[in-house]
Amino acid sequence: MNVFRIALRNIRGNAVKSLTVFMCVLGVAAFFVATTLIVRGAQNSLERGLERLGADILVVPTGAENKMESAILMGTPIKLWMPKQNLEKVSQIEGVSQATPQIYLQSLFGAPCCAVNEMFMVVFDPETDFSVTPWLNQHMGRGLAKGEVIGGTHIFLLEGEEYLKLYGYNLDLIGTLEPTGIGIDATLFMTMETAQELAKYSPQTAILPLEIPKDSISSVMVKVKPGVNPHAVSVQIEREIGGVVPIESPNLFGAFRQQMLGLLGVFIVMLGLAYIVSAVLIGLVFSMAAHERRREMAVLRATGATPFFIFRTLWTEAALLAVAGGAAGVALSSITIYIFRDYLAGTLGTPFLFPSFGSFMGLFVLALALSLATVSIAVVVPAYRISRQEPALAMKE
Amino acid sequence: MFKVFGVVLVVLAIALAVVPTFTDCQSQGKMITLANGKTTPMKCHWTGIAEIGVAVPLAVVGGMMTLSRRRNNLTNLSVLGVVLGGLAIAFPAGLIGVCQTPTMSCVTAMKPALVSLGSLTAGISVIGLVMSRKAKELS
Repeated sequence: MNVFRIALRNIRGNAVKSLTVFMCVLGVAAFFVATTLIVRGAQNSLERGLERLGADILVVPTGAENKMESAILMGTPIKLWMPKQNLEKVSQIEGVSQATPQIYLQSLFGAPCCAVNEMFMVVFDPETDFSVTPWLNQHMGRGLAKGEVIGGTHIFLLEGEEYLKLYGYNLDLIGTLEPTGIGIDATLFMTMETAQELAKYSPQTAILPLEIPKDSISSVMVKVKPGVNPHAVSVQIEREIGGVVPIESPNLFGAFRQQMLGLLGVFIVMLGLAYIVSAVLIGLVFSMAAHERRREMAVLRATGATPFFIFRTLWTEAALLAVAGGAAGVALSSITIYIFRDYLAGTLGTPFLFPSFGSFMGLFVLALALSLATVSIAVVVPAYRISRQEPALAMKE
Repeated sequence: MFKVFGVVLVVLAIALAVVPTFTDCQSQGKMITLANGKTTPMKCHWTGIAEIGVAVPLAVVGGMMTLSRRRNNLTNLSVLGVVLGGLAIAFPAGLIGVCQTPTMSCVTAMKPALVSLGSLTAGISVIGLVMSRKAKELS
């Protein structure tokens, strides 16, 4: 009889022990996968969002840093204004490769068009833009015409409607961007020409007019020349232009990243505790089971089985339970998180994007390895003890 | 085993009836305002009401499954369970549907919860069906 078959028989023979070990491993694996998915999901989302922005530096009016972050992160509309001349000044800074203006607007509160009560609208200049225009060229093969808009993945047309009605103006939604998990998903993008058109007609077509102050912009997105340190350019912008703050893109969402680090710390402590409690419990259960089966093991020894064979039998039994429990834990937590991802993101207040298949498989292997390690550590002492016991003494007892 | 299945189906039926009460848009204070100023519930609310219509017979199926010992009865109850599980999925997924806005609670919480509960109901009923076909007469 081989080790594998003995282990399977032992698993079937002691259902309570097997179920206890299975549930402990399932719990640890599920918790590990759930916490990793949430933290990695948030990181993924931020990275995708920064990629979509495409800027090395964002220049905003002084004091608007936090507002800007929450606008990008959660899609909260903001009103920021600074003189248009700042664009010229930023462009002339040494090391700046491209600079493009953006204007931030918002829809009327509770407009029936929108995914949120107040939708964040970003107006860009198609001549200089490097954030949305490359996507448009790649996917549409052209830019936006007057009256055309594109939106994040949460922007949609109402059933039976052909146009998106904003400020009483019919906008043609010609495409939606890939999901990023952050506020960009609920943001509408349009050109300066379309925004001016909206502002022009809104006094007649909307309850409240859309106002765009003359010669004003909300922010400047900056791309630095290859090989140039964005921090040096940032310092230069701060020194030479008054009333503005440059935000380097790696420093964007700084407060949120800190919050996530805190959350990660809590998760690690909780995981550690769950790991220790599970390992102790599994060890205890295996010790009890091994004690009950000492005669059976002694018979095996008497029939010629080596101590290593006994040890391997017990370890294989534990390993099989670990793999089954680990796989079940990964499946349970990942399916739950996948199904309720939007709800979790909303409740936790974090952006979330499910990882790619490759990363997920890596996580799956890691969770199985963790399960196997937990069980191996827990059973090594009882398995060693029972494999080394004196057969004659055990049978005599 | 069928007693366990019966109890689980009753629990799932209660969950199917209760979940929409806390997760539809009306429970979050969101309603449609008509041109005359009156308000009316959004369609996710009606999906929630329809789920009660699924939950009641499902609870009866679960209850009968715990009591029944005849193989044919268990088979028929399992078939009903599969159909009711399918309906529990179909109401939010297509027959009535939920709201269009992807960030609303009926889309993020109610629909996935109902689809999961419906899938569990159908899954358990399929297992019950297979087991009832294989089992000998219990009475």
